[in-house]
Amino acid sequence: MRSSVMVEEPVLLLLPFSSDWPIRIDSSPCLSQWEVGSALLENMSPMKLCVPGDKLCSEEDCIPGTGVYLRHGYIYSALAGYVLKKNEGEKRPVISVVRETEAQLLPDVGAIVTCKVTSINPRFAKVQILYVGSTPLKDRFRGTIRKEDVRATEKDKVEIYKSFRPGDIVLAKVISLGDIQSNYLLTTAENELGVVVAHSEAGAQMIPISWCEMQCPCTQAKEFRKVARVQPEYLQA
Amino acid sequence: MAGLELLSDQGYRLDGRKAAELRKVQARMGVFAQADGSAYLEQGNTKALAVVYGPHEMRGSRSRALHDRAVINCQYSMATFSTAERKRRPHGDRKSTEMSLHLKQTFEAAVMTQLFPRSQIDIYVKILQSDGGNYSVCVNAATLAVINAGIPMRDYVCACTVGFVDETPLADLCYAEESGGVSSLALALLPRGGQIALLQMDARLHQDHLESLIEAAMTACKGVSKVLDEVVRQHLQEASVLTRE
Repeated sequence: MRSSVMVEEPVLLLLPFSSDWPIRIDSSPCLSQWEVGSALLENMSPMKLCVPGDKLCSEEDCIPGTGVYLRHGYIYSALAGYVLKKNEGEKRPVISVVRETEAQLLPDVGAIVTCKVTSINPRFAKVQILYVGSTPLKDRFRGTIRKEDVRATEKDKVEIYKSFRPGDIVLAKVISLGDIQSNYLLTTAENELGVVVAHSEAGAQMIPISWCEMQCPCTQAKEFRKVARVQPEYLQA
Repeated sequence: MAGLELLSDQGYRLDGRKAAELRKVQARMGVFAQADGSAYLEQGNTKALAVVYGPHEMRGSRSRALHDRAVINCQYSMATFSTAERKRRPHGDRKSTEMSLHLKQTFEAAVMTQLFPRSQIDIYVKILQSDGGNYSVCVNAATLAVINAGIPMRDYVCACTVGFVDETPLADLCYAEESGGVSSLALALLPRGGQIALLQMDARLHQDHLESLIEAAMTACKGVSKVLDEVVRQHLQEASVLTRE
């Protein structure tokens, strides 16, 4: 049984995105604006502009990153932006092309996404994906959290009504892109995944008191949810 | 019609250009803030506006989604005021559908769709003024719009319409030349690799002339790509000056 989170005052629940979370942004050819800005400032020399089709270097010099493609042993740019070379500790630097403005990001398998529950059903919960990692999506994608993917233990005894309610903000991980019939399949079967923000039936934002319960500060009523364990550094004591 | 020579003895065309000369290309990227990518391009008197949305979730029938790549959906339309006589039916007629299909095939060759499985990229092009070379201007405008949207592409896609008159290939035909009975060929090229994305012709041409016509088209496309390159680089410089503190 996990230790319960005891707080006296309402906790500022920031969405926790530390760098060791398994966020895969391989298919996204851009960094956040903050990272690009800092990279631009660090590089005192003006960064090289490139356009799609520009030959950047040969495969022996660098490893292809995002925004580039490999053809006949040479690395070419696939985007109009700046060339970024990073030394990741391997023999060759990783070369990628970044844009300053956000390009469209798609949730990838293994990515942590923030979503809002739109409807529930005894077998699954339907959600709308709002953020992938820390980047907001311009378009809303839909996902499904099946009953057996809510928890890691006692999967058959899960009740969706006691885990999620419509309007909850949930942190989940993408397990599948889905097939023709279904949307993205998500899971909350980890300690750090689950409901982060929920409102009680009275309308107030609830405080988590354990991994399966949240309490309303106004009416003191307890409601069942599958609560995400927020990283300790994001809690204000 | 007497007096209307497509190519004069001194080598000048109806609008005063030489045989291999292109029309003046002017373009702007990022004209609309609400679309993911947009561009406006003028080639002589032909003006086109291209808007790109995506990649986003499949709209409409989910069964058309491809499991390993993105679906590119193109729509070509002409404004009712774009031609000399008011156009009765801007969308849905056979020519528009055929153009939309050609645009789709062209961009499927250049855009790296395998990075976005089960999603859709929409490209809408509208001709505001039509003076020949509609397909080419659409392709050029759409290339800029796709680059503006940040969708990865292998290379630029540049297109040009060429025709054959008096043993000479004419590059970048205008409306008067196209309707004057010239055998016109439209070519879409990926300039750096020299790969042809689409080649379209529905006129009569002697097989001996085909080689030289395609050569002329490729040279013209490479000329267009230089101009588009300038536009993209300048837009990047401007955008970075604006966002940099």
